[in-house]
Amino acid sequence: MYNLHLSPEQLEIRDTVREFGAQKIKPVVLKSDRLDVRDRTLPMDLLDLASRMGLRGLALSEDAGGAGSDNLTCCLVAEELAACDADFAAVLAETSWLAHVLFDQAMTAEQCDGFLPRFLADDRFHLAIAGGDGGARLGINYHRQASDIPAPTITATDSGGDFTLNGAADWVANAPIANVFAVVVALSGRRDAGALLVPADSAGLAVRAHDRPWRHGVAGRVTFEDCRVPRGHLLKDGAAALLTRADGRGIPLDQAINLGIARAAYEAALDYARLRVQGGRPIIEHQAIATKLADIAIRLEVARAAVWGAAWASDHPAAFADRSLPDLPLQTVAQVFVSETLHKAVRDAAELFGAMGVMRDMPLQKYVHDALVCMHGGVSNGDARLRIAEGLAGFRRSGNGAQVAAE
Amino acid sequence: MDFTLSNEQRSWQMAARKFADEEIRPISLERDAIPTAAETWDSDIIRKGSKLGFRTLAVPKEWGGHGADFVSQALVMAELARADSAISKAFSQNWKWSHLISASCTEDQKRRFLPDFIADHTFVLGKGITEPGAGSDNRLPPDDPKAGLKLKAERRGDEWILNGEKAFIANAPVGKLFFIDARTDTSVPLRQGTTMFLVPRDTPGFRIGKVFNKSGWRFYQNGEMIFEDARVPHANVVGEVNGAVRKSGGAGGDTTGGDLFGDLELAANALGICDDACASALRHAKGTQQGGQPLFAQQMVQLQINRMHMLSEALRAFVMRVAWEHDMKIHTPNAGLAMNFSTDVVQEVAELYMTVRGLDGAHMDPHADKLVRDSIIWTHLAGDSVQRMKVARRIGR
Repeated sequence: MYNLHLSPEQLEIRDTVREFGAQKIKPVVLKSDRLDVRDRTLPMDLLDLASRMGLRGLALSEDAGGAGSDNLTCCLVAEELAACDADFAAVLAETSWLAHVLFDQAMTAEQCDGFLPRFLADDRFHLAIAGGDGGARLGINYHRQASDIPAPTITATDSGGDFTLNGAADWVANAPIANVFAVVVALSGRRDAGALLVPADSAGLAVRAHDRPWRHGVAGRVTFEDCRVPRGHLLKDGAAALLTRADGRGIPLDQAINLGIARAAYEAALDYARLRVQGGRPIIEHQAIATKLADIAIRLEVARAAVWGAAWASDHPAAFADRSLPDLPLQTVAQVFVSETLHKAVRDAAELFGAMGVMRDMPLQKYVHDALVCMHGGVSNGDARLRIAEGLAGFRRSGNGAQVAAE
Repeated sequence: MDFTLSNEQRSWQMAARKFADEEIRPISLERDAIPTAAETWDSDIIRKGSKLGFRTLAVPKEWGGHGADFVSQALVMAELARADSAISKAFSQNWKWSHLISASCTEDQKRRFLPDFIADHTFVLGKGITEPGAGSDNRLPPDDPKAGLKLKAERRGDEWILNGEKAFIANAPVGKLFFIDARTDTSVPLRQGTTMFLVPRDTPGFRIGKVFNKSGWRFYQNGEMIFEDARVPHANVVGEVNGAVRKSGGAGGDTTGGDLFGDLELAANALGICDDACASALRHAKGTQQGGQPLFAQQMVQLQINRMHMLSEALRAFVMRVAWEHDMKIHTPNAGLAMNFSTDVVQEVAELYMTVRGLDGAHMDPHADKLVRDSIIWTHLAGDSVQRMKVARRIGR
């Protein structure tokens, strides 16, 4: 039973989002003054439009008022949006994924009653997670029982009725625009990490936007200084694990965004190769250019297979258990392969443009930068390889950061 | 086989290293970060370097230059580029065209133009070949007369009237004298119908258009040139009419002047970036603790450091051999191969440096970011498929 058909719904939503991108997003984001990677602002009006199309609540269940899309569909949409603008795609992917985790799984009924109506009513209601980035690099601790895996950097002390939060988290995706944070914390007196809902306007919470962060979307440093959070904002047990997905089998949304970036570069190169005449004919008719374009297409296609595979696997976890899928962290596998292979594809695409490939008012240098961010932002590929290798070696690290901190 | 440097070569290398350490490195990142492309140039650093001889290094001694050999030139380019690749290029770009002057200009032209160039410490040179519709066609000209550059020059009495435009021209916004390739016979292919002219900045009808906003090599400015009935005296024709390609290393890539040097230049400059990346990566790996040990203790990092150094030393061996061959007047395709090779090496080494650095919070180290952006410039200058096929055709000749 091997089936790569997309469902009619998946095809329809992909086409709809592609059309939206071509009609609405590209005309704005491809303006020359917005292509400088040092000076990008989020097109908030377009995010409003996307929200009204249902993309902000894409993964949120239909019962809760969302579109209820599966992970593969979310990846298709992320690719389409990122083919226009990676930041735009990243903001929506983060909010949509968190909406599903929080409203459909991690919140109590009372918490949903409090937050869901506001989420649904406000097109600019965005979500973020702080403190759940998995801690430090694996590096020297590969295949060792490390004593120094850091605990969540944010602590929550029980202060009779409320929790008091202290600590900070860096490069929190969506931080500058989030209305509510899910905060992964070391809870005093508990073995496992916990997670709390903290509204952005809470006293003691401060957000500083990062200038030109090496990740897509917007990001910021979130600081908690004696920030008091009502006891009722503690998410269900197990929420921290849902939010951090340390098993390497999460939804490959970042990799889908990477695909979108590379596809934009590829499409630009293909169009240009048909138009640009050198050596007496369109350059696509020259062997050297043709084989380069073929290489880019090959890389995109194989990378997409890795992303879709990981996305489908995250929709069908039982396929690991019945041995249909290999015992590998498929999202992490996709991260390494996709970022490296597409970085090369984008650089090849830029080469076709000659000097125009490096100009800040032209799109190719933006794609090159964005692909580089995919390779170096977040968990490094070196660390990702070590995580995969620990799995291969059957190594299991005992305990987690929260336990270490609590003991 | 003797790899020893002469005293003169060694002393140029040391002078360049000192100038790079003391004057260039301190301003490198600051210049790179200037957001407006037209404001990155600093004539002060050019003046300082010029006083030490780095602007006129390749001008023959009888004309007031330093007449340094190619080995010294390669050493100086690499040393300057170790502190800032774009600033190194801003100096060596002048050598490229001073090679051309000594190879191709008449005594009268040298008398009219060289003394001003020598005397003015901020005087820089440029050469205009590329046009919006003609890039690769100038490098590998097809036989079709319609292919290649279009800027037209028509004879009117003792003058030539130039009309058209050039794009992506290095030093255009800051240069004072340019070599311009123009079509003087449009009925024949580029190779037979192109003439080179000396065009001073203040030529009537000639102006500079936009300054291109490059992502790398920020300091080294690049601009548009516009010619509207620009009047250039016949005495400014370099070599013969319709002889640009044969005489000068202009369009089409002959190997007697600027072009031959240009291949070595890009390879030597790349070597400087590699040296910078290797030293910086090692310093970072040894000086940064992770899990109670320096990064350098990790096998993964050791392998990265190994590869960076291995590639860089291979490039150094190639660059120095090509420089030596130039000095010995041995003509081989090696300069072109070294240039192509330097693209692969400088890009891989810069990216490995970025990998060793990793992210600092949410930010990439601006130095690693700069080296990668600078290294990407090599793609279209030194390592695209046209630049590789051009060298293959030299080999196949």
